[in-house]
Amino acid sequence: MPRLPSYLGIGLVYLYRYTIGVLFPAGCKYHPSCSQYAIDAVRRYGLARGTVLAGWRLLRCNPWSRGGVDYVEQQRLFR
Amino acid sequence: MILATLLGSPLTPLEDVLRHVLEWLHGTAGLPWAWSIVALTVIVRLLMVPLAVKQIHSMQAMQAHMPEMKAIQQRYKNDKQKRNEELMKFYRDNNVNPAAPCLPLLFQFPVFIALYLVLRHFSKHPPGGKLAVHRGDFSWFGHHFVPDITQHANAHWSGYLLLVIYVGSQLASTYFMSTTMDRTQRTLMMILPVAFVPVLVNFPTGLVVYWVTTNLWTVGQGLVTRSLVPKKPPPAPKRSSRTPARKEPDSGDGAERKAEAQQPSPAPSQPRRVKRKKKRARR
Repeated sequence: MPRLPSYLGIGLVYLYRYTIGVLFPAGCKYHPSCSQYAIDAVRRYGLARGTVLAGWRLLRCNPWSRGGVDYVEQQRLFR
Repeated sequence: MILATLLGSPLTPLEDVLRHVLEWLHGTAGLPWAWSIVALTVIVRLLMVPLAVKQIHSMQAMQAHMPEMKAIQQRYKNDKQKRNEELMKFYRDNNVNPAAPCLPLLFQFPVFIALYLVLRHFSKHPPGGKLAVHRGDFSWFGHHFVPDITQHANAHWSGYLLLVIYVGSQLASTYFMSTTMDRTQRTLMMILPVAFVPVLVNFPTGLVVYWVTTNLWTVGQGLVTRSLVPKKPPPAPKRSSRTPARKEPDSGDGAERKAEAQQPSPAPSQPRRVKRKKKRARR
């Protein structure tokens, strides 16, 4: 069950999505998209670990990666 | 402002780099400050051109896979989640991807914030002092158009004109950048640049110059991309649209239209919308 700090983090992602994010509607080479991944990660692992996971995903979402299907459940950073 | 300052502290190295480049463009290359900002923007975008080239190659490669992709889209047309998943798997297997990665887009935010900090610093401590300001060192197209790019955009009527240009360029650039977009996103994208104006009004005019330049660059790049990636791959869509026609005794295009009309009635406009999306993605 997400707690208050998590909601804050999720709220920030939604804020990004509906403000600056709209300026870059280019999508994401991963499924789910980076912002959706961040929301899922924070929901599941809490704000701190979720943020780390989301940051790691953003770093992977670079021009040299191949993209593809990548759910939070598949992560191997935190067990 | 507070947020920008908070975000700014880890950005000091980037801020220094940008300031040095600007000072070099102004001092050594002899450009006026405003044109130095334009040049800086062009440099930032030039650094990102290899990414765009990669993207174009990927889009060109995708043309060859159009029939298979259409088949996937057709198979999972009622399940968005599954459709995206399968498409992503397909992209990965074939090493193509129409979507841009997120990281390079995010890279533009630090640049933007650092430039904001540089210009704010300039407005407080203009290089060359008050004399330089009076001499018009910070003007663009002379004293009468943009008198001082370190001042807020609402300090002079030209700032508002720049903001209008900004809104136009923003709309144009988002139009070119979009590969997939649903209706809500499209509406938001139309509204947001206008909603940003009250915020941008309190930004240094030089920042608006940067934003307009980068948008115009995006439009130019989009036009080049469109000319390099053909809108319609000649044989591919024909084959896939004829496949359902074979089941019908009717011939050719009429049957295709019928098949479209027969699709689930609750949302008759849906298949058409999907089609439009695909067209856009192909560009």
